Amino acid sequence: MDNSGKEKEAMALMAEAEKKVKSSQSFLGSLFGGSSKMEDACDMYARAANMFKMAKNWSAAGNAFSQAALLHLQMQSKHDAATNYIDAGNAFKKSDPQEAINCLNRAIEIYTDMGRFTIAAKHHVTIAEIYETELVDIDKAIAHYEQAADYYKGEESTSSANKCLLKVATYAAQLEQYPKAIEIYEQVATHAMDSNLLKYSAKDYFFKAALCHFCVDMLNAKLALQKYEEMFPAFSDSRECKLVKKLLDAFEEQNVDAFTDAVKEYDTISRLDQWLTTMLLRIKKTIQEDESDLR
Amino acid sequence: MSSDFETYEQDFGTLTAEITNKIGRIPKLAAEEKTQLVLNVDKQLEEVRELLEQMDLEVREIPIQSRGMFNSRLKSYKQEMEKLEKDFKRSRIAYSDEVRNELLREDGGSSETQRAHLLDNTESLERSSRRLDAGYQIAVETEQVGQEILTNLATDREKIQRSRDRLRETDANLGKSSRILTGMLRRIIQNRILVFILGAIILLTIVLALYFNLRGH
Repeated sequence: MDNSGKEKEAMALMAEAEKKVKSSQSFLGSLFGGSSKMEDACDMYARAANMFKMAKNWSAAGNAFSQAALLHLQMQSKHDAATNYIDAGNAFKKSDPQEAINCLNRAIEIYTDMGRFTIAAKHHVTIAEIYETELVDIDKAIAHYEQAADYYKGEESTSSANKCLLKVATYAAQLEQYPKAIEIYEQVATHAMDSNLLKYSAKDYFFKAALCHFCVDMLNAKLALQKYEEMFPAFSDSRECKLVKKLLDAFEEQNVDAFTDAVKEYDTISRLDQWLTTMLLRIKKTIQEDESDLR
Repeated sequence: MSSDFETYEQDFGTLTAEITNKIGRIPKLAAEEKTQLVLNVDKQLEEVRELLEQMDLEVREIPIQSRGMFNSRLKSYKQEMEKLEKDFKRSRIAYSDEVRNELLREDGGSSETQRAHLLDNTESLERSSRRLDAGYQIAVETEQVGQEILTNLATDREKIQRSRDRLRETDANLGKSSRILTGMLRRIIQNRILVFILGAIILLTIVLALYFNLRGH
């Protein structure tokens, strides 16, 4: 593939497009079909951006797309502007995450203006993912996930909303914002109980909620566990519920070994993932602290 | 020639008697002696087979007239040997009353084999429990995978429902827009007809005015 050739072509197109824009802004240009010139310029920016993409020059592609979007805004075609901003965001994702987030934010503004909340929510999720992976700013990621969940709820897509809320809850629990996490898990679990498809995942959510209660206070955990068993009888048969009961007993007796044994036993059957291990470790530390306090 | 044959026959007779005797004793014995005896019997059966082959060769050298009798004897010997082999195989797995009494009386004379049996049993139990555990793990993993799939399905279901509703809306909107367009088209045609009519009237008025003017002069 002749990448450098494509780049040169692309830069030539950009220069041409800029000329067209400038010429259409002069007095004569706006008299004689200025709008068609701007459309042509938009087209050329888009083509240039595609060629930059082929040459893998992501920042230049992103720039070209943003220019095209600005022109569309001037021409009052919001849809096209938003699409171009999204393209720009995708191109910047690979080179400059911050710039990508800017473009995506602008696109989201346009979409919410037009009332297309589903798409706006989807892009909030994309932004949150960028914050999760590349920029590692968990607070902002949580904020965007929450916003996305609100929009999804507004559009009655509870499953998508639940998906975002679960991520919020995972991060909130990691950051020790336990009440929020508990509320979300209980909400999602109650919703899951009712649906035929989702009821097999309900016990997982109850388990996580119980663990969060545990991190706060043991009594809370006991009460919560009883409440969940009442709400969802199948929960009491699950291995997770038995594990929590064993952990509660070990905690009451301040017995670290029993705690570790129960956790190990559970681990042999189904591996504990990162989040679970962190939470269980925190609980274990509280036991050990209590022990050392007593001594 | 036939004396050779007779010697072979005698050897055959003694060997088969010994084999039958040993086969009778095999089920009653314990492990090591049993294996020894089994080897013995194997060897003797080999010898018997060789004897039979040699008898076969002898018979072939005998002139055809007297062959008939020897042939039939050979056949009966072969059948006897096959029967011995079958008995031998059966005896190796046979039970006998001796063994049963031994078991139920718990002589203690074969405690070694009992211990070996017990160890074997424990090992196979452990193996089965390990396999059960692995099976349980796999079942749990399958359940988790199933949960994920179900969640995905639920999300997809909502998306599909939403798309279907939006499609219906779009369809209705398209119908409306096509109606509006036809209305616009009609109005355009009406306007054009009006313009033509008005133009015609104006032309007519101008023509009439000129005509009256010229007539007035």
